[in-house]
Amino acid sequence: MIEKSMVSAEKLGAAFDEEVYLRLNPDVRVAVSAGSFHSGRDHYERFGRIEGRPFRLNKTVARDRVVMSGDIDAPREKPKVAGGALDTVKISQSGGIFVVGWVNDTLDRLDSLDLYFPNWSISFDAANLARLRRPDAEAALGSVAQHPYGFSGFIFAARRLPGGICNAVLRLKSGAEASFMVTAETLEDDVLRSIALGHLASVQYFGNPYFEAVVAIEHSIGAQMVDFNKMLSRRAVNAPYVERFGRAGRNYKASIIVCLYGRAEYMFLQNAMFSRQPGIEDYEFIYVCNSPQIAEPLLKEAKLCAHIYGIDMSVVILNSNGGFGAANNIAAEYASSPRVVIMNPDVFPREDSWVRKHSALLESLAAEQTDLFGAPLYYDDGSLMHAGMYFDVDTVPSFAKNQKTETRILRVEHYGKGAPPETAQFVRPRPVPAVTGAFMSVAKSWFEKLGGFTQDYVFGHYEDADLCLKSIQAGRLPWLHDVRLWHLEGKGSTRRTEHEGGSIVNRWLFTHSWDEVVRDGLMGPEPSREGFGQARRVAAPSPAAPALVAPAREPVRVSAKMKGRKLK
Amino acid sequence: MKILLVSLYHPELVRGGAQQIAYELFQGLKQVPDVEVILLASIDHAAPALFKSGARITGFDGRPGEFLFLSREYDYAWEKTANVQLVESFKEFLQLTQPDVVHFHHFLTFGIDLLTLTRRVLPGVKIVFTAHEFLTICAANGHMVRRTDQSLCSRASAVRCHQCLPERPPEHYFMREMWMKTHLAVVDRFTTPSRFMIDQFAEWGLPREKFAHVANGQALAPRRALAASTREKRNRFGFFGQLVDVKGVQVILEAVALLRADGFTDFVVEINGDNIQFATPKRRDEIEAFMAEEEQRPRDERNVFLNGSYHHDQLASRMARVDWCIVPSIWWEIFCLVISEAWNYGRPVIASNAGGPAERITDDVDGLLFELGDARALAETMRRACTEDRLWDRLAAGIKPIPDRTHMVRQFLDVYRDGKNAARLAAE
Repeated sequence: MIEKSMVSAEKLGAAFDEEVYLRLNPDVRVAVSAGSFHSGRDHYERFGRIEGRPFRLNKTVARDRVVMSGDIDAPREKPKVAGGALDTVKISQSGGIFVVGWVNDTLDRLDSLDLYFPNWSISFDAANLARLRRPDAEAALGSVAQHPYGFSGFIFAARRLPGGICNAVLRLKSGAEASFMVTAETLEDDVLRSIALGHLASVQYFGNPYFEAVVAIEHSIGAQMVDFNKMLSRRAVNAPYVERFGRAGRNYKASIIVCLYGRAEYMFLQNAMFSRQPGIEDYEFIYVCNSPQIAEPLLKEAKLCAHIYGIDMSVVILNSNGGFGAANNIAAEYASSPRVVIMNPDVFPREDSWVRKHSALLESLAAEQTDLFGAPLYYDDGSLMHAGMYFDVDTVPSFAKNQKTETRILRVEHYGKGAPPETAQFVRPRPVPAVTGAFMSVAKSWFEKLGGFTQDYVFGHYEDADLCLKSIQAGRLPWLHDVRLWHLEGKGSTRRTEHEGGSIVNRWLFTHSWDEVVRDGLMGPEPSREGFGQARRVAAPSPAAPALVAPAREPVRVSAKMKGRKLK
Repeated sequence: MKILLVSLYHPELVRGGAQQIAYELFQGLKQVPDVEVILLASIDHAAPALFKSGARITGFDGRPGEFLFLSREYDYAWEKTANVQLVESFKEFLQLTQPDVVHFHHFLTFGIDLLTLTRRVLPGVKIVFTAHEFLTICAANGHMVRRTDQSLCSRASAVRCHQCLPERPPEHYFMREMWMKTHLAVVDRFTTPSRFMIDQFAEWGLPREKFAHVANGQALAPRRALAASTREKRNRFGFFGQLVDVKGVQVILEAVALLRADGFTDFVVEINGDNIQFATPKRRDEIEAFMAEEEQRPRDERNVFLNGSYHHDQLASRMARVDWCIVPSIWWEIFCLVISEAWNYGRPVIASNAGGPAERITDDVDGLLFELGDARALAETMRRACTEDRLWDRLAAGIKPIPDRTHMVRQFLDVYRDGKNAARLAAE
């Protein structure tokens, strides 16, 4: 803790360090600069003592927590000045702290970045900062070294913190430091999330950004961002606006849940296409919207659809973007059927009897084959988009700092991408390692047993594969059945830079969570785990397929609590 | 039998072929015993004074049976309105009027999805849809002219449509086709004013057996032999229509330049029409530059005269000033009412050899056809028309009777009643 005490003028004497006092009290520094006080000492004598303002630092130096000053009376050599700058400090309402800067630490490594605000401070451990390429710093320094001068950091403090003026200190291992006075901008939480993720996706790295971005966040930022995002997701799904169109109080065969983001128009397209399907009267739609800004046109469309198509439908509008997982989970709570069908807004039936075929599958096949299944999806050009998913891994070695390290990133691949539409090996019913969230038919009881979609992922990506892996771990293999759909991939929503940043976090998170499980017989297009090999020999749906029980190995879940965030 | 005619615009407010025919039909059906007919014609904000506060559907100028649909919030990308109250008013109008037949003469400004709404509100109603162009197939104004090279388009597809309108991805046009076909599926009977359109729609995937050919009929004044028919020279040409790109007036101007360059100047072209503001800037500049230069010439050296717009009542006098009528359209001109009007005044037509004109005109029997868009071919045809002895008399004598309103009404009544005569209509 920063030491606060009432000290007599006699005792204060040489213990008072003008610079430390101004550093610990940046508002005083401003007041002195403005001429309101002669000095920090002047302020202390007149007000600071009474206010109990801190004037010296603790003797103990702790990493990731408040650092107190040493013995100021001891004679010491003035440290060298570190070269660098802090470009930005942004703080969000709920305690997200985002910093960007650069430092010349090619020989003398950065040790920490310390921020001192009135009444609070924080130290970013350099090991937990993302290191980035900064061509502008390279140019300024005339450097040709492949050194990442840039850095960024993110910590979620999970408490309200005032922004404003702060003293920032870049501290090198040698003790050299550079001090800056910066103003920390206070932003809304979701704005800070967008900025931090957008930055992550738009900066430069030495090496392949696909890998390097993941490496950059794996020590701390990834976990911090996941925690921050989970808080936002919880807030987004809190008290949604819900409106029902058409009949209410009925039980349906299935509830089609469609998560919307940014565009309302696919609602009327899906309503139009599905309204012609025989049997659609036994289905309901639940549109869950992650974009409150389109609430008005969306509700208008829903009213129009109710008049024109008459499909029973609920519209659930979240107060902000809760992400794919949280949005679908909350929508499932409004389902009035024993089955949830997760569907993208740009997915449409490819045949006139699609609803009937889907219903027939549920009635004719054993639960083992229908508790969780997907379907072949087709491009608008007629070719197969994909028919099930499997896992692969990208590995790249690194020799930074003369140490050999290896970065592994799990990759989700698709069976039959671009294949001729009738390719039997892809469209035949079979168990697959995973199915896409663009279309996923799940028994509601099974969905609930699995805990729904994991809500840790940022915005959306990997939740589908994650759910399938949870299902496999719980004893049910995902299946693929031949109920074909069109999928205009990616046309149902808009994608921005922060979504790319979210993908980086998700890529790290998915690998971190499931690498060990996938290595255990689930890798590649022909996974060796029991059940898949058997299914490869099955040419037709087999109602008697046994339930498959996999070794119980839980995924690794991350939390910022695992990491060294410390705040005082 | 109660019939509701749904018309794109009211011809009293906005001129155009589709609304003119819808109104001809309305007038004709009013004469038929045991038939009650209602006209619901759209207007948009081109007539703001008619948008009564809070109203979505109103009467029109004290005319019995005529109503205005006050279109708004129209989405041209998906051809639908986003206005809930407007849709609710249409629904209520159907419920109040309870027609036996709803005959859509267009969907533009109403929304293609109102076809589905009509079926949902009145499950037993007969829905008839008359295609006045190819807007259901072609997002480029329904012209089916490729914007890449101005050639005629014979087949729409996601990629080809994207080439014409690259601001949207191929998937949009894939969806647009599904969207259109979903709503067209509720139609009981389609009619087209020209037979070639049936082939186009059938190749696009609509059921051929649902189609009938019903020519556009008009209640024109009795055919008159105008004074022009006694002239020695047949060297006066007239253009009647809008000065927009697809109507091809620029082909005439280019042909005029070619004839002049060849030293042939003993002819006159009179251009009747307006709406040049709807031409593309490039085309507008070309036409205006040509006319500006033309006006600088001594009057006896001028070949082209721009007469401006005309009211239907002025048609006889405008026709009297010419011997030939030129239809140089560079799209699939669907039917071409101008041909009917020219024929009604005994004027043979020189037309592009595609679409409705090619179907209606028999080359060298009742008119002359030239290669679509080919100014040199038009120039040679004009020169022949001016110089070949007795050609005009022979072709004028070959002109067929024009489709009249009474015949059109009878054909539509066959379509409305039970469709038993569909095969005959399709063959006619």
